[in-house]
Amino acid sequence: MIPELGHISLITHLILSLFAGTVPLAGLFLGRQSFLLHIERFSLILFSLITVSFLCLVYSFLMDDFSVAYVAQNSNINLPYYFKFAATWGAHEGSLVFWILAMNAWLIGFTFLTKSKDKKFSQLVFSISCQVMFAFTLFTLFTSNPFERILPVPPLNGSDLNPSLQDIAFTVHPPLLYLGYSGLLIPFAIAVAAMLFQTETRVWASYARPWALLSCGFLTLGIALGSWWAYYELGWGGWWFWDPVENAAFVPWLLSVALFHSLITSQNRGLFGKWSVLLSIFAFATSLLGTFLVRSGILTSVHAFALDPERGVFILAILAFFIIGSLTIYSVKDFAKTSSNTTYTLTSKEFGFLLNNLLLVILAISILFGTIFPLIYESITAGKKISVGAPYFEAVLFPFALALGALQGLALFLGWGKTTSFTFLKRLILESASIFILVLLILFILFDNLYLNSFVIIFLATWIAAGTLQFGKIGSKDYFKIIQRRSAVIFAHVGMAILTLGIAVVTNYSLEKEILLAKGDSYQIEELDVSFDSIEDSVGPNYLSKLAKVSFTEGSSTKQVIAEKRTYFPSGQPTTEAGIETEVFKDLYVSMGDNLEADIWSFKVQVKPFIRWIWLGALLIAIGTIISGVRLTRRL
Amino acid sequence: MRKIIDILPLLVFAALVLVLLSFLSDRDDQLETVLIDSTFPEFSLTNLSDESSILGKKDISQLPALINVWATWCIACRVEHPFLMKLKEEEALAIYGLNYKDNREKALDLLKRDGNPYVFSIYDYEGRLAIDLGVYGAPETFFIDKEGIIQERHVGVIDEKVWADKFQKYLDE
Repeated sequence: MIPELGHISLITHLILSLFAGTVPLAGLFLGRQSFLLHIERFSLILFSLITVSFLCLVYSFLMDDFSVAYVAQNSNINLPYYFKFAATWGAHEGSLVFWILAMNAWLIGFTFLTKSKDKKFSQLVFSISCQVMFAFTLFTLFTSNPFERILPVPPLNGSDLNPSLQDIAFTVHPPLLYLGYSGLLIPFAIAVAAMLFQTETRVWASYARPWALLSCGFLTLGIALGSWWAYYELGWGGWWFWDPVENAAFVPWLLSVALFHSLITSQNRGLFGKWSVLLSIFAFATSLLGTFLVRSGILTSVHAFALDPERGVFILAILAFFIIGSLTIYSVKDFAKTSSNTTYTLTSKEFGFLLNNLLLVILAISILFGTIFPLIYESITAGKKISVGAPYFEAVLFPFALALGALQGLALFLGWGKTTSFTFLKRLILESASIFILVLLILFILFDNLYLNSFVIIFLATWIAAGTLQFGKIGSKDYFKIIQRRSAVIFAHVGMAILTLGIAVVTNYSLEKEILLAKGDSYQIEELDVSFDSIEDSVGPNYLSKLAKVSFTEGSSTKQVIAEKRTYFPSGQPTTEAGIETEVFKDLYVSMGDNLEADIWSFKVQVKPFIRWIWLGALLIAIGTIISGVRLTRRL
Repeated sequence: MRKIIDILPLLVFAALVLVLLSFLSDRDDQLETVLIDSTFPEFSLTNLSDESSILGKKDISQLPALINVWATWCIACRVEHPFLMKLKEEEALAIYGLNYKDNREKALDLLKRDGNPYVFSIYDYEGRLAIDLGVYGAPETFFIDKEGIIQERHVGVIDEKVWADKFQKYLDE
């Protein structure tokens, strides 16, 4: 009964979202006041319906109801309860329900917090959002229904959740990512409404900004957690693989960053109105496009979703309807007229934001192109395969990322209209150069080595940090005030500096070695002594595992870690769990390879200095954007 | 001039949608045609019921035949199982199993318990033959005619309707 309740609730959500997506719209354009809805109340009703649906699915998982096909495919009696819970969004069908839930949550945020004097504007945003939610619900019910039953003979046990997804980071990574994706719906709907009503740029930008920031914050958290998960779960020791799914999340992230920066200018100066609208549309479009690429099966990656061409067509249809629709409005409506004669010069903050946007968009397009190119190549050459990997992305992105970082260091000093004084430059160069030398000194003490390759990026990191924190003003009495007023921006930009430093060090100072070890033997890698102490069998709730105890000895200190190789018995699929010893400045990392003879195993040993700083940086960026987003919602 | 710039994003995006759509239809065709009309690929894998016996293409000797990809972890395969048993009884064709990424003991237990519709099952733990066949997942079924040519492929459960629509015609010929 419970799954049917969830099913009915989802169908009701479908009908009501269609109603809310069409009736107020008709009311607005026919001028019928009576067609308008009480949107606060209506968004609560929609939210409750989808919540019921979601909870019914959770319940089916927790109760091991294997007559529900989705549960049978993604759970198992032996699965621990917290993974049963997380399995709800672990595969395609359930993740869609979560996605709709998240869109509803954002819409509630919008309807309750935006105290627009213009009631019609809110009605329109609400109605457009409901159209998108209707399309998603329709997609879910028709191609990916999570409540479908296997009757009359339900299986006795399920086939288990994909083992590599049975992990703590995984339980939170997808929801955060989906929250980020779905949040981009609100700026999109606001932008479309702004075009239709020819709303003044400053006004609509102030509505859209908090939601763009919050989505970006959640996207950052989601992507960072995904990267961390891949690091210890896939056993490769990397933090970014240019995998199509990673790219599919990275592109909307870049565009959301471009968007909220552009919106600052739109809100404060009434400029970039059209550009902000385009970014809102494309940020939303790329979040859908990513979903399309991953779930239609036209790109393959480590993220295995059930493949189904029919789903691909459906998502493409949703994408085409909303994006072609909004771009058509864009091409015919005469909006964002620059009535004010605001001018700006090449040294202005406006121009800084323009450059920032240009660079971010170039990065996004390059990544998108690199992701889709293998498909284009395959169809031109009639089936020849090509893979575009790290070398392409690194070579193409590096110069633009460099320029972006250089700009970021200067950004906070620029003034609206034009920058009057450039005295800050001398101080900035001096400060960043001194921190740079300090960082090099620390690296030399830590690793006895300096790599020229890393200098440019390390300098960039110190440049951004110095430009953000403005150490020169320490001591002056308003320094604390500046820091406090700008805390959001400082968190985000310092986060960027820390992330950049992490990337510079980890790419240049990492050690990596594949070794064979017999039990009791040890191996020397530079000053690190790696010894294979013991191996034992162990049994988990739904897997068997081999546990290898490996010790790292450096000078007089010895640390033991446990690397693990699991075989999940419902599916027979193996996974590796790396053994990682985390120190402030480096990670010692070992993952198990194959069992060659009796007690001889292959291991992959890695030393990863500063790798944690990458995720720390991302965390700070997320904190910064979320603080800023939350502050702005209070001013709505 | 200004108007052209305003229409540009629309044109670019519409072009992108068309490109993506063409990929999608390409994919569909490939799925259907890649192996149709070609002979069954060579392989060398063990027999599910006997670890020491190596099977090859020559062992698929009773034609026409169905090659059915199955596994114990595959729920849909259990739904399909009774229908395969019925086919074995009623039709003049051999059914060979391709046991896919499975546990040998569990697979044999299942056949013992629910009946064995297969002449034999090829044990493909690593999915080698499955890769050559371009298997999407289990269950999946291929029809091989009297000359050893793959004539039809079905992804998903075979039931009365699928059988009548896609496979029956080859036996009638």
